[in-house]
Amino acid sequence: MNAALVSLLLPLAGALLLILLRPARSGRWVIALSLGALVAAIMALQVVLDHGERNLLVGGWEAGLAIRFRLTPLAALLLVFTAGLHLLVALYTARIAHAAGKEDYWALSCLLHAALAALWLSADLFNLYVTLELLSLVAVALVSLAGRKAWKPALNYLLLSLAGSLAYLLGVALIYGRYGVLDLALLAQLTEADGVTHLALLLMTLGLMLKAALWPLHLWLPPAHAAAPTAVSALLSALVVKGPLYILWLIWSEIAPVEFGRDAGLLFGTAGVLALLAGGWSALRAPRLKTLVAYSTVAQLGYALLALGLLLLLHLNEPRLHAALWLFVLAHGLAKVSMFLAAGELQSILGSKRVTGMRGASQNVPIALAAFAVAGGSLVGLPPSGGFLAKWLLLQPLFERPQHWPWAVGVLLGTLMSAAYVFRVVAHGFDRARPNPPSIRPDRLAQWLALLPALLVWGLALISEPLLLWLGGLGR
Amino acid sequence: MSATLFWIAIGFALWLLGLHGLLTLRHALRRIIAINLMGSGVFLVMIALAARHDPSDPLLVALVVTGLVVAVSATALALRLSSALATSKEHER
Repeated sequence: MNAALVSLLLPLAGALLLILLRPARSGRWVIALSLGALVAAIMALQVVLDHGERNLLVGGWEAGLAIRFRLTPLAALLLVFTAGLHLLVALYTARIAHAAGKEDYWALSCLLHAALAALWLSADLFNLYVTLELLSLVAVALVSLAGRKAWKPALNYLLLSLAGSLAYLLGVALIYGRYGVLDLALLAQLTEADGVTHLALLLMTLGLMLKAALWPLHLWLPPAHAAAPTAVSALLSALVVKGPLYILWLIWSEIAPVEFGRDAGLLFGTAGVLALLAGGWSALRAPRLKTLVAYSTVAQLGYALLALGLLLLLHLNEPRLHAALWLFVLAHGLAKVSMFLAAGELQSILGSKRVTGMRGASQNVPIALAAFAVAGGSLVGLPPSGGFLAKWLLLQPLFERPQHWPWAVGVLLGTLMSAAYVFRVVAHGFDRARPNPPSIRPDRLAQWLALLPALLVWGLALISEPLLLWLGGLGR
Repeated sequence: MSATLFWIAIGFALWLLGLHGLLTLRHALRRIIAINLMGSGVFLVMIALAARHDPSDPLLVALVVTGLVVAVSATALALRLSSALATSKEHER
């Protein structure tokens, strides 16, 4: 537990110190901090795998009144994931200064890291609300770093995300009014399938779906993610939308009564398939490169939602679907970081924000284009990437149960869509007839740093066995 | 009990009114007020639930206070963003 707390407090203290002291080389400090947080998170993962779940009651109050932090294997894995992605993005941003927007980026990205770490560790509904709100406020501030053009999408993002949190909070108030507790473990034993619980779960689910930009409540995401500075887009798509998704999973896998599972499963499954189709179609038609990548986030979240829906339809007793959901999150996070960094690199070197401006990128910016293609390969689900593993785990239970196989058609269509929008960019990149000349001298190291997360996601297959074993144990 | 139900109903009505305002209004300041109306509705529901007991449930009151802090900081950020947006529009003219 101590190691997990270090992994939470390091970025928090770092953010406050960066704001107060404003050191000259903030980038190096943030790299050191996130490296420290990563080591602490790995130690926490080691401890939790050896000794099982850990709990901490903050301030020594009794259970039910105290703020409870809970370290589960999944929470520890997500801590490692957060610290690792923050480190990868910080490495790139320290090299390419304009990717950050402004100097304030460093303190805010540390705050974002801390808010997410607190979210993974929280174990009661209200604490989850506070961390969620902290996360959105920091995310909005980060989007607005891009300057004037980003302020309008940032304000829209803030207002819609507040509406989402208030819907969630109203649900939490109803749950507390009905059961008198907020702790997840206590609620899990108490919940019954009655009207108040139904309404509360509906409000919480809608609020969280709005915050996670799950279809059809995703319309705020593409403008906000496309307008943000490159490093911020990477953090938002890879990490921030996963916070509300985690809470949604906690609510439906732990506290929701099983009677509601079927309806919710159908809702999530349908929304997931429609997200794959609608997001993929919009990505295919997007004129700008970053908008394309942002719509691909909407589409890819559809897989996670579909996995959650199928999990509920199969009454939660299919460990492979838990594993599929979290592998999607890990693989999408790594691939999306790489994709956004590569997109930023392509944009700034070729001096064009449009997809058609990528002509000749294979000659002039080969490594960044390779990063985009490799990350895209994981989104499509080519073996042996992390995306392939997740899709395989999602499909296996479907093939064993013939009555559920129509869902596989949705996965197939989604895969074709993602292949289409990835190849749309890559095909322009290989168009050497009228190449778009680079407007600045390419920085090789920065391109390699953008490629690094994509290589990691292809390496996920190498460590897949222990990963699948841990993730498969989540359903218990 | 009927008083509790009454205030919960008022809270829900405020929440819905705020949501309606957020979705239909275009002016930034009006939308920020709409969000605050939604927040007030939620807090009213929580206080109505807290007042069922005598003395009132301290945990819910603590939650409302925390929620107010969050709402104030979010409103501050929204106001700053909208005023920055308004001045940048004036410059463009």
